[in-house]
Amino acid sequence: MDKTNNLIALFHESTDTAEAIDELHTLGIDDEKMVVITGVPYPHGALGRQVEWLTLPYIVAVGALAGFLFGLFLAVITPHLYRLDIGGHPPVGFPPAAIIIFVFTMMATIVSTFLGVLWEMNFPRFGPAPYHKLVTAGHLAVLLEYPATLDSQVRQVLESHKAHHIGEPERMAL
Amino acid sequence: MSEVQPTQPEQDNHPDQMPEFEERLLLAERKDWEINEAVLQPMFKTGRGFWILVAILSAIVLWGFYAWGYLIYWGMGTAGINRPVYWGLFITTFVFWVGISHAGTMISAVLRLLKADWRRPITRGAEAMTAFALMMAGLYPLIHLGRVWKFYWMIPYPNNRFMWPNFQSPLMWDMVAIFTYLIGSSLYLYLALIPDMAMARDYTEGWRYKLYRVLALGWRGTEAEWHKLHRALGIFSVAIIPIFLSVHSIVSWDFAVTIQPRWHSTIFAPYFVIGAVYSGLSALASILIIVRRSMRLQEFLRSEHFDSLGKLVMVAGMAWVYFWFAGFIVEWYGNEPIVRELIHEEVSGPLAPFFYLQMGANIIPIILLVFKRVRTTPVLLLGTTLLVNVGMFTERALIVIGSLQRNDLPFNWGTYRPSWVEISIVAMTFAGFALLYTLFSRIIPFVPVWEIKEGRLRYTLRRIGRLLVPTAAEIE
Amino acid sequence: MAKDANQSDEGIRWALVVDLDRCTGCQACVVACHAENNLQIVGEKEAAYGRWTHWIIIHRYWEGEYPNVKARFMPIMCQQCSEAPCEPVCPVFATYHNEEGLNAQIYNRCIGTRFCGSACPYKARVYNWFRPEFPEPLTEQLNPDVSVRTRGIMEKCTFCIQRIRRVEIDAQAEGRSPTDGEIQPACVQTCPTSALIFGDLNDPNSHVSQLAHSRRSFRLLPELGTDPGVIYLKGGEVNV
Repeated sequence: MDKTNNLIALFHESTDTAEAIDELHTLGIDDEKMVVITGVPYPHGALGRQVEWLTLPYIVAVGALAGFLFGLFLAVITPHLYRLDIGGHPPVGFPPAAIIIFVFTMMATIVSTFLGVLWEMNFPRFGPAPYHKLVTAGHLAVLLEYPATLDSQVRQVLESHKAHHIGEPERMAL
Repeated sequence: MSEVQPTQPEQDNHPDQMPEFEERLLLAERKDWEINEAVLQPMFKTGRGFWILVAILSAIVLWGFYAWGYLIYWGMGTAGINRPVYWGLFITTFVFWVGISHAGTMISAVLRLLKADWRRPITRGAEAMTAFALMMAGLYPLIHLGRVWKFYWMIPYPNNRFMWPNFQSPLMWDMVAIFTYLIGSSLYLYLALIPDMAMARDYTEGWRYKLYRVLALGWRGTEAEWHKLHRALGIFSVAIIPIFLSVHSIVSWDFAVTIQPRWHSTIFAPYFVIGAVYSGLSALASILIIVRRSMRLQEFLRSEHFDSLGKLVMVAGMAWVYFWFAGFIVEWYGNEPIVRELIHEEVSGPLAPFFYLQMGANIIPIILLVFKRVRTTPVLLLGTTLLVNVGMFTERALIVIGSLQRNDLPFNWGTYRPSWVEISIVAMTFAGFALLYTLFSRIIPFVPVWEIKEGRLRYTLRRIGRLLVPTAAEIE
Repeated sequence: MAKDANQSDEGIRWALVVDLDRCTGCQACVVACHAENNLQIVGEKEAAYGRWTHWIIIHRYWEGEYPNVKARFMPIMCQQCSEAPCEPVCPVFATYHNEEGLNAQIYNRCIGTRFCGSACPYKARVYNWFRPEFPEPLTEQLNPDVSVRTRGIMEKCTFCIQRIRRVEIDAQAEGRSPTDGEIQPACVQTCPTSALIFGDLNDPNSHVSQLAHSRRSFRLLPELGTDPGVIYLKGGEVNV
């Protein structure tokens, strides 16, 4: 296996970053080998990167379905297991059941969205990770992993686009 | 890095005037780290006034807990409720707090979906208000139970008592709906908070660092993380709107499903929802004005935000009047004996002072908010929005207590006087809300920094003739 | 959807007839009820604030202008509605409908939300605002067949279900069904003018069901559709 280098570079400005990323692509560095860290969410495509495919909507759909079924179980089935008659109402009526089913569906939707997005982001993750504190101060950081043979070219690309703090990424406890 | 002080010349010259929209205030020339500092610095400043406030609020909360203990120990009779007024100030305040909780979602979810950009600096304050108001509201179903130590009998789990709750009871709907809304709004608040926790983590040390580090969950801000966060927030915004509509509808059905005169009304659900939005938005405006002044966030919470918020309050108020009238005219025209009696009591009977307080305190603010000067002058807006909530609290009291005093058999009519226990517990929740909010504002960045930075990305200034106009780009 | 058991015309439906023509408003039924069902005495001050615990409340209405004033009395107890508005609203099924048409209250299940009290159009339910106190020697006369309720729960007229059950069990032991008039709730037993009559409404030969078909019979707040099990007979000019 080829020896690879890891590098972090900080940029002041998004256009520079995007151009640098484009040139790194032409050097043959894959999108997966690059991580862009920003303090601000940039719009899709602003930095010339592909959009990742998410399983989140599927997780949410499954969660909502589970909530619906649980609500259905509570509102429609359990009243027959613990049968007590109440005046003028059948043991299971449509409007109360609809409310219970609705609320449990929504609860499961919300909770599965939250848990799903944490799972997708692989959170919580407190171990050491390459990061630079200047990111939240407004800098854009690019983490690179590339074959050692490309070292000088990569550094040249980065420097030509006003990157600074180029160096071995510091792995800090987060 | 910590030497920078936010410049506020406007504040020095005209303390009552909010700074008008200016190029400088687009934050365009502000560096990211300057914004971070401007938001974080006031959090660290806990002066004597802050601790005095915390002490007073804590004292009221402790007194309220004593009153609650007294209520549990001696029985529900220590409250002022009786037959037929089985529900009194507790349920009134419960409805009030659920109402207050509605603005958070209104602001952050509805406006996020509508891409209304003025929401950005106020979303977090609104969401926190929702969560805390729901916590306070959630206490009341417990407080008003005659045997609170048996509250878990309402939770459906298989048990050796062979007991199961009744899902046809509006109280069960209430319980699950409020619980869902509390979970939903807390998770929504927290999800949007994670990037700011990471920001705060990078700027702090000591106990704050530890806290923020745990809350940030290891957020770095990679593109994938941002993408996923956006997606999740989008789903949240859509999912939480039906919840927020359902919660106050269900609260209204606590009343409307009974055949108590004046409660048994189909208009109650939308009427309660719109009343909740009205009082919630007003409470939000009041809180933002207070926090803005005490935490010196004038740079972020500007006149244009209060202007928009004021307009929204005004629209909600007009809708409230419409719904109130739509319910009232049907009852007035129907002229059923007990309903007629209740209306008579309100309009010219012993309840008249409350009725006119309700109408005045809800309608006068609508007229006042027509004027831009009222919407953009902090003191005037504070007074106006507080007035709205006086009116809305009275409205809930009239609905709950006023209606219960009269029923189908005149021999069962009664009156109600709140006791010191009830007043203490109601005061406890107001103080508890203020206390939670005060502590929150010193621990959590009150302004969503990343959302402001994101909004700043969208804006440029464009010259049209003599004017410099901010223009927003359609990006998300 | 399951069949609605409450609507059944089969089986027993216990009912009480109140003849307003005979009621003198003497409150003997209220006293008898207190003794039979271990009702607490709350005292004058609390009672005046609407916190009495009477299961029967003698509604007293004045008619006419002084000096031609008439007092009208109307004993109102739990109406044992078939379509009881109090039942669906209870979150813990503390009140439900039993197979004999009674609106049953399970004290042990009650957590005290008072929702049933708000929902009841007759306001026939009473609440234990404080822990009941029975000063000596009142404890000696507590009815062992009836539980003493604690504070924080709802209670209401049960048609003296303990007496119904006792007669039913005795009759069953003798291999017969209870005869008409054999079951007497405490108020019925006590009423000096026999204004209260108890029996099975579904038995066409019972005294109660015959009175229920009387021209004078009416039910309270019939427009609400609660279908009460208490039947009133209109009073004339007698109870002045």
